Amino acid sequence: MNSDVSLTPLSEARAGSLLSVERLEGNEAVCRRLREVGFCEKAEILLLSHRGQLICQVCGTRLALSQQLAKKIWVKSHQLSS
Amino acid sequence: MNRSKYYAVVGNPNSGKTTLFNALTGLRQKVGNYPGVTVEKKAGFFIGQHGEKIELLDLPGSYSLSAHAPDERVTRDVLLGLRNDTPRPERILCVIDASHLERNLYFITQVLELGLPTIVALNMVDLAQAQGRRVNVEKLSQELGVPVIPSQATRKETLLPLKLALSRAEIERSSWSPQLPATLLRAIDGIAAIWPHHEEHSLEPDPLLRMKSLLLLAAPAEDMMLLAEEMNAGKALNIALAQRMMLDRDLPSWREVLVARRYERITTLCQAVQGEGKMTSYSTTHYLDEILTHPCWGWLAFLGIMGLMFLSIFVIASYPMSWIETLFELSSDFIKELMPSGDLRDLFVDGILAGIGGVVTFLPQILILFFFIGLLEETGYMARAAFLMDRVMNKVGLHGKSFIPLLSSYACAIPGIMATRTIENSNDRLVTILVAPLMSCSARLPVYTLMITALFPGNSISIWFKGTIMMGLYLLGTLAALAFAWLFKTTMFPGEHSIFLMELPPYRMPSMSHILLQMIQRASLFLKRAGTVILGISILLWFLVSFPKSSSSSSRESSKSHFYEEVTVTSQKADQLEHSYAGYLGHLIEPIIAPLGFDWKIGIGLIAAQAAREVFISTLAIIYHVQHDEENPSSLSTTLLKETRSTGAPVYTPLTCLSILIFFVLSMQCMSTLAVVRRETNSLRWPLFQFCYMSGAAYLASLLVYQGGMLLGFH
Repeated sequence: MNSDVSLTPLSEARAGSLLSVERLEGNEAVCRRLREVGFCEKAEILLLSHRGQLICQVCGTRLALSQQLAKKIWVKSHQLSS
Repeated sequence: MNRSKYYAVVGNPNSGKTTLFNALTGLRQKVGNYPGVTVEKKAGFFIGQHGEKIELLDLPGSYSLSAHAPDERVTRDVLLGLRNDTPRPERILCVIDASHLERNLYFITQVLELGLPTIVALNMVDLAQAQGRRVNVEKLSQELGVPVIPSQATRKETLLPLKLALSRAEIERSSWSPQLPATLLRAIDGIAAIWPHHEEHSLEPDPLLRMKSLLLLAAPAEDMMLLAEEMNAGKALNIALAQRMMLDRDLPSWREVLVARRYERITTLCQAVQGEGKMTSYSTTHYLDEILTHPCWGWLAFLGIMGLMFLSIFVIASYPMSWIETLFELSSDFIKELMPSGDLRDLFVDGILAGIGGVVTFLPQILILFFFIGLLEETGYMARAAFLMDRVMNKVGLHGKSFIPLLSSYACAIPGIMATRTIENSNDRLVTILVAPLMSCSARLPVYTLMITALFPGNSISIWFKGTIMMGLYLLGTLAALAFAWLFKTTMFPGEHSIFLMELPPYRMPSMSHILLQMIQRASLFLKRAGTVILGISILLWFLVSFPKSSSSSSRESSKSHFYEEVTVTSQKADQLEHSYAGYLGHLIEPIIAPLGFDWKIGIGLIAAQAAREVFISTLAIIYHVQHDEENPSSLSTTLLKETRSTGAPVYTPLTCLSILIFFVLSMQCMSTLAVVRRETNSLRWPLFQFCYMSGAAYLASLLVYQGGMLLGFH
């Protein structure tokens, strides 16, 4: 299904990593909601914490989301520039 | 003479919108409800520079005009002029949190595209500056095409420039556009051209129609029909459906582009006015969250905060509560002396004063609870509590956001049900509303106190043990709420997973004046309800207890002994009760409640408590010849223990007391809550269902406890 091997679901990303959103799964309403809060394709996000639920920095604000929802967000990992 | 100006105040949640609204209008506010939904409608005004009235309407905080939750829908409908009860605003005041410019601008640019005269209040400029993200206000104003005024809602002296701007006779309209690709623009214009509207056909469709067309085009397929109906789209719906098919073919990623283009433009704008933000800088909020959302330390902090809250509600509130009780007793004594004895005096003292007094007594508890809830919300902790509880709520099919209404329901189910408006998923919201009254509210507290005292008479049992029993009852109610939530989710809405997505706002120092203002508003709402609903029910109840007049009560004989008179009055009351409509009803339902260990007198108490739970206590007090003395409930409980059945066996055995307790934990005995649920769900079906399932569960549980106990040899 997923041809690009470098893509992983957000639910499997490590805390502290800088990611870019590549693809969204799920129905129209869920995708629209995710995009509008900032999980839009090509958006850069920072995964701050990952203990069951996740906390991400998106558009300068902190968003909490469930593991289930994070499975629908496919991301690509960036190297953190220090 | 200047015409008054009417502004709608819009912004993201946590943008400081309500604080700014409060700072501008002060106490010149009117708080009400939008008809049909429990979303609060707040309007206020201030006097502008030229002596004109400037009216402000505080709309619920929103993230997008697409409106995912009921409160966001209210904002959308008012801005689009879809609500009959609220006129479409002529002007808009946008509130932006300068420290979260990018997030805030998504919604604000949508609002700008409506083409109304708009002023932007750039809030929390101090915070943004402290983070090293100074905003170039002039540049921002230039880019957006409307006046941008820096302000700090927490400091009133910074508000003058904003007030001046709001008084201006003419205000610019923005020409902002997200610069969508030509294919999408054509699709939107195509829909707008067909849209039925009153004005003469013009070549350029007006911005409002374009926004409506955009919202209809982008709506999820399942919502399109309803949305088209709400917006009076008429034939435009068919065009929108056709355009979607064409877009799917020509520009398959159009849904993504619609949002992405807007964000791209916003990002460019932010870089121009604020410079590039660093993604990886950790804030104080981050380090606090490391502790407060931690699976172990987070829970310890959570339990500590909850414990402190309950302790305050039960311990601190007891002092002002006893003062209020004394006040009502004194005024009832005063009326007794002032008025000649008769039905009118009885109506005032036994009906109105007793009824209203019983409810107003809870005001201190409700104020303390709202203080805590205000504090939790203001500091940003509430979102963390919901975050922690998400895992527990997940087990029953709900998510963290449902926890906030349930928490509020410990004080009263009504504000709890009002708090469900932020839950996006309508089924989740319904389930939360249905189970919220199972959380033990403060009206159950006096019943619990009395029955526990009757259960363990004397001083043989320590206060701590009684306290533990009390906490057990609260736990039972909470577990029942979770169990029923699970049952409803799995049977009524199977296989549905709702999404948990919530902003964690930065921690902030709470503004005490804001919390205080909210407490005053809540208190006045509560007192207003007490003055209307409870007043009516109290009068009705008094009537049922006092009529028809029994023969003995008509022969009032004056007595020399004061003590003797009291005894006669109370025994008259008891005799009156047995022959009143209420007494008749009590005997009528006795066969039904006898298997639970209840006699007809408890039956009357239960019928009376149907209106409001705390009425149970005052009813029992009248029934058992006791002079009503709430300051010392043991006198009532001692009388209860002496009460015997016709067989000579005591009525209030430990088993009966336990059965009453279980009944009150689970049963739905609150007319006001049912009325709110009726308004909330817009149907009679759900409050009726709620009443039936809770009463049924209470009956079954009490039956099980009483009959099971009897079988095991308890009495």
